[in-house]
Amino acid sequence: MTVWTPNDDGFADLSSHDTFVNGAPHNTFARLRRDDPVSWLDWDGGKGFWNIVRHADISELNRNYQVMSSARGIRMEDQTYEEYLARRTFQETDPPEHMKTRVKVGKAFSRPVVTGFEQQIRDLCHPILDAALDKGTFDATKEIARQLPMMMLGRIIGTPDEDLPWLVEKGDALIANTDPDFTDHVLDKMDTDEYRMMPFNSPAGAELFDYAKRLIEEKNRKGDTDGVLHMILQPDKDGNVMPEQEFRNFFCLLVAAGNDTTRYSIAAGIQAMCHQPELLGQMQEGGDIWATAPDEIIRWATPALYFRRTATCDHELHGKTIREGDKVLYWWISANRDEEVFDNPNRVDLNRSPNRHMSFGQGGPHVCLGMHLARLEVRVLFEELAKRVKLVEPAGEHKFLRSNFVGGIKELPVTMQAQ
Amino acid sequence: MKVTWVLPGGEEVVADVKEGVNMMEAAVANNVAGIQGECGGSLSCATCHVHVDGDWLEKTGEKGDFEEAMLDMADGEVTGASRLSCQITASNELDGIRLMVPEAF
Repeated sequence: MTVWTPNDDGFADLSSHDTFVNGAPHNTFARLRRDDPVSWLDWDGGKGFWNIVRHADISELNRNYQVMSSARGIRMEDQTYEEYLARRTFQETDPPEHMKTRVKVGKAFSRPVVTGFEQQIRDLCHPILDAALDKGTFDATKEIARQLPMMMLGRIIGTPDEDLPWLVEKGDALIANTDPDFTDHVLDKMDTDEYRMMPFNSPAGAELFDYAKRLIEEKNRKGDTDGVLHMILQPDKDGNVMPEQEFRNFFCLLVAAGNDTTRYSIAAGIQAMCHQPELLGQMQEGGDIWATAPDEIIRWATPALYFRRTATCDHELHGKTIREGDKVLYWWISANRDEEVFDNPNRVDLNRSPNRHMSFGQGGPHVCLGMHLARLEVRVLFEELAKRVKLVEPAGEHKFLRSNFVGGIKELPVTMQAQ
Repeated sequence: MKVTWVLPGGEEVVADVKEGVNMMEAAVANNVAGIQGECGGSLSCATCHVHVDGDWLEKTGEKGDFEEAMLDMADGEVTGASRLSCQITASNELDGIRLMVPEAF
C-alpha cells in the first residue's frame, strides 16, 4: 500500500485492519526489518502468527513450499479443515496438486497469449481516459483505475459488458470483506458463520457461484468455446474434469483477485504522479522506461499486502523456532520497501532495474497467474495517460481500504489537465 | 563449470556456475536478459525458457510432464531443443553448455 509519509509510531498492530486505513504502517515494517525480522503477534481474532518482513527471508521461505504450506489457508484467519475444503482454490494447494490446475489455466494467462491483448487494452483506455479528463477533477480510482481491469475481466471471461459493474461489486465484497464501504458483512465485525463455507466468508460468494453456473450453462447452450472458462473446464489428459465446486471457487478468484489488484496498482501509479511530478515528463519521454515502469508502479502499489503459509514442521529462523502448525505471514509490502534490496525504497524510480519486487509473490509456486496481464494493463494505461495530460495533481485527501490484506487507495481525488 | 547464454541479438553472457545451482538461478544472478524465473524454479511460470545448443540437449536429461505442459506457455518459439532452464542443474558433465535465449513474441 502506498503512503507518502508514513506516520505510524513504529509499533502498529499488524493484525488490525484499522491500522491500514491511513496506509501501510511502513515505520513499523522498517523497525521489524531492522530489529525483529521474525516476530510473533498475538491476535484476538484467532491464533497468533509469525511476521516475516525481510526480502531475503521471504524469498528463502517462499520457494520452500514443503516446509511452508499453502494448503491450510492463505489469510491470517483460522479455518477448519471442512471450511478449507469447501472454499479452497488452487491458491490453497501445494505442488504437485497445485500444478495440475496451473497447467490447465496457465495458457490463457501466458505471456504469448496476453501479448495479443495489447490493442484491445489500448482501445479500452481511450474512452475511459477521455471521459475522465472531460471531468477535470475526479476520483481517479473510480473513473480510471476501476474501469480498465473491469472491462478486461469481461473480455477474458466472456461476459456481457452490462454484467460487469455487478460482477465487480461482488468481487469487491469478497476481497475487501473487511471494509464497510464494500460489504455489509464486515469479516471481523459480524458473525459471518452462516457463510463460512463460502469464498471469503461472504454471501457475495454465493451470488457469484450462481452467476458462474448460469454463465457456463449459457455458453454450453450456444456452443461458445471462447475464453478462459471453457479452457479450464476441459478434461485433462487423464480425463479428469475440474469439480464444480473448485470451478466456482476459481471463478470467484478471477473476479476478485484478478481485478482489484490491477485497479490498486493503477491508482498507486496515479498517486505517485501526484507526488513526484517528474514522473509525467519521464513517461512522456518514453523509450526504455516502459520496460521498467510497470514493475516499479506495481512494487510501489503492492496490492496484496501479505499471504499466509502454515509450517509443516519446526523451522528455525534468526534464532526463533517456528513450530509445526504455526501460521506465517509473508509481508510482501515490507519486502518491497526493504532497504537491503532497493535504493530509496520510498521513492518511485521508473527506471529501477533490476527490480526484484515481490508484488506477484515471485520466487515461489504461487507466483501470480495474471502477472503478465497486470503489467500490460499498467503499461498501456500509463502510456495512454501520459500522451493525454500535461498536469496531474492531488485534489484532496486520498482514502485507503480498511484491510491488512489488500492494500489500495479506494478514493483518489485528482485534477488532470488535458494537453 | 562454464555456461554461455546467447541472447537473441547474438551477444553472449559467460559465467562460472557452481555445481548444484540451476540454470535459471544462474541466469538471474548474472542478469541474463529474457530469463525472469518468476516462480523461483517451481514450474509455475515458464519464464526461463531456453533452447539448448546441439548435443548438449541430450546431456540435460529428460523433460518431466509438468515441464512439457508449462513449455506450452513459454515465450519465444518452442522447439525440440526447448527446456525450462530451472530444470537443468549445473554439473561437471554440462561444463561448457550453451543456452540460447529465444526471441520473445
